[in-house]
Amino acid sequence: MGEHDGLTELGQALADLDEGGVEHLVRQHLDQGLSPESIIIELSAGMAEVGELFRREEYFLTELIYSGDIFKNAMTVLQPLCKTAADRKDGGVVVIGTVQGDIHDLGKNIVVTLLECAGFTVVDIGVDAPAQRFVEAAIESQAVLVGLSMLLTTAFDAARETVAAFTQANLRDKVKIMIGGSVTNDSVRQDIGADFWGKDATAAVEIAREVCQ
Amino acid sequence: MNARERIAAVVALQKPDRVPVAPLLDHYAATYAGYTCAEIMTQGDKRISSVIKTATELGPWDMTFLADTANAVLLQMGVPIPIKLPGRDLPVNSTHQFQETEFLTPGDYELLEHKGVVAFMMDVAGRLDPAWKGIRVFAPLLKTAWEYRRHAKMVSATGMEVAAGFIHPGVLYEYFSLGRGITAMSADTFRRRSSIISAGKVWAEGMANLAIMSARINGVPRVFIGMSRASSDFISRKNFEALVLPDLEYTVNRLVDSGITPILHCDTNWTRFFDLFKCFPAKRCILELDSKSDIFKAKEILGEHMCIMGDVPAELFALGTRDEVMAYCRRLIETVGKDGGFILSSGCSIPVNAKLENVKALYEAALEWGWY
Repeated sequence: MGEHDGLTELGQALADLDEGGVEHLVRQHLDQGLSPESIIIELSAGMAEVGELFRREEYFLTELIYSGDIFKNAMTVLQPLCKTAADRKDGGVVVIGTVQGDIHDLGKNIVVTLLECAGFTVVDIGVDAPAQRFVEAAIESQAVLVGLSMLLTTAFDAARETVAAFTQANLRDKVKIMIGGSVTNDSVRQDIGADFWGKDATAAVEIAREVCQ
Repeated sequence: MNARERIAAVVALQKPDRVPVAPLLDHYAATYAGYTCAEIMTQGDKRISSVIKTATELGPWDMTFLADTANAVLLQMGVPIPIKLPGRDLPVNSTHQFQETEFLTPGDYELLEHKGVVAFMMDVAGRLDPAWKGIRVFAPLLKTAWEYRRHAKMVSATGMEVAAGFIHPGVLYEYFSLGRGITAMSADTFRRRSSIISAGKVWAEGMANLAIMSARINGVPRVFIGMSRASSDFISRKNFEALVLPDLEYTVNRLVDSGITPILHCDTNWTRFFDLFKCFPAKRCILELDSKSDIFKAKEILGEHMCIMGDVPAELFALGTRDEVMAYCRRLIETVGKDGGFILSSGCSIPVNAKLENVKALYEAALEWGWY
C-alpha cells in the first residue's frame, strides 16, 4: 500500500505521477495474472486521488492532464485485454461541448478530464457545437447533465439558444444545464437560463455529483 | 499633468493628478468605428483610424494599444498555432480564434536551440502558412514593422501614450504551451524539463533582443509581455520557479536595464505567484490583470513594488449596466488606486459586443473619482 489509505502501489504510482512506475507495475500485474479489470480499478483509484489533490490545490492543471496521459497510455495496453467492455465509470453521463461560434476547447477539456477522473462518462461533442447537437447527444446518451463551455462574450447568444433548444425538445425538466468558461459568472448563468455555473473544473465535478446522484 | 507624465508617475508609484485610463483595445475599435473585425485585422489604415477614433472619443484615454491583438500579421507571427480569421474562416464580424492543436513538435525545442529565435520563428511561420515560407515572410513582416512605427507616431500626435512598442509573446513556456497545446505541454513539463530550460534560455535572450530593438525603433518605452498559461491556474509554484521565473526575470531585467517598462499582461489567475513578482525591479513594471487574478490582493502584496493595471471584466462590459461598471471602477480607484500606482483598464480586451455606455464609463469614473 502506498502513502494514502486505500491506494495500492499502482494507484499510488499514478497519484505520484510516476510514469515509469505505472508502466512497470501494469506489466508486472499482467505477468502475475491479474485481470485487466482489476488493474483498471487500481488505476481509477489513483486518478481519483489525483482529482482530490487537484481539489486541494496541491496539484494543478499540468499534473491533472499529465496523470490523464499516463492513465490513457496504460489503458491502451489494458483495454484490448478486457473480456468485456471495461466500464469503470459509474458516476453518470455528462454531455459537454463548446457552444456554436466558439472554438476554444481548453477549459472544456479540463472539465472533461476531471469528470472522467471522478468516474463520470463524458460525451464530448467538441467545439462550435450547434444547439441541436447538444440536444441529440443528451437524448442518445440519456444524460441528465449538459455542460456549455464558452470563452467569448459573443457566445452568450448561442448558449441561450442551446438552453431554448432543450425547452423546445421538452427536455428542460429532465436535463440540467451548467455553464462554464472564463467570461461566465452567476449573472451570466441567469441571463442564459442555465441551472448551474461552474466557477472552475472542480465546481463542475461537484455540480455533476449533485445532479447525477 | 499630460498623459505621459501621468503614466510615468504611476509606474514610479507616485500620485499623478488623476488615475490614468488605458483600456486594452482591439476588436472593439471596429465595433465603435463601424468597421468589420475582418477589416481592422487586415487593413492597417482602418485599424489605426478606428483606434484613434475610439480612444479619443470615449476618453481621451491616457494610453492606448494599437489594436495589436487584432493585427492578423502580428498574431500569425507571434502565436504558433493555426488561427481562424474573420472574413477568411469566420463571419466578418467575429473575433479571431486560435485552434488548440499540437502544432509544435518535441523536436522544436532542439530546433530553436540550433537555429536561434529569428530563424526558428521564420520556420514556424512557413509551416503555418506556406505563403510565408523562407524569405517570403519578410515582405509582410517589414510592412507591418514600418506600419507599427507610423501608427505609434499617429497616436503620439494626439497626446495619448502608445501602450507598447513591441508585443512579446512571453517566455518559452508560454509560447510552447500555445504551440504544443496544453495537453502536450503538461506532459513536457515532466518529460522534457531539460529541453524547456535549455531552449528557454535561447528564447529569452533572442526575444529580449528583438523586443528592445523594436521598442527603440518604434519610440515606445514599454513592452507588452504575454502571460497566460504559466499562471497558478496551470502550473505549480515549484514548476513556475523552475521553468518560468528564471526566463521571465531575465526578460524583465533586460528590458528594465534598457530603459523599457515591461507590461506583464497576466491573463488567467496569477494570485498565488504575486509574491514571487517581488524579484522584479521595484517601480519599473506594470502588472496588467484580466479580472481572473485578485487585483485587490495584488495591491496588498505588490502595491509598494509595481504599478497595477486593470481590470473591468469582459462580461461586465457586455452584460452589465453603466451603473455597475461605474461602481466597479470606483471600487478599483478607491482601493487599488489608493495613493497612486494604478491604471484603470479593462480586464484583457474590451469585448467586441461591449455596451457603448459601459466603455465610456471608464473615463467617466476616472473623472468622477480618480482625482488625487
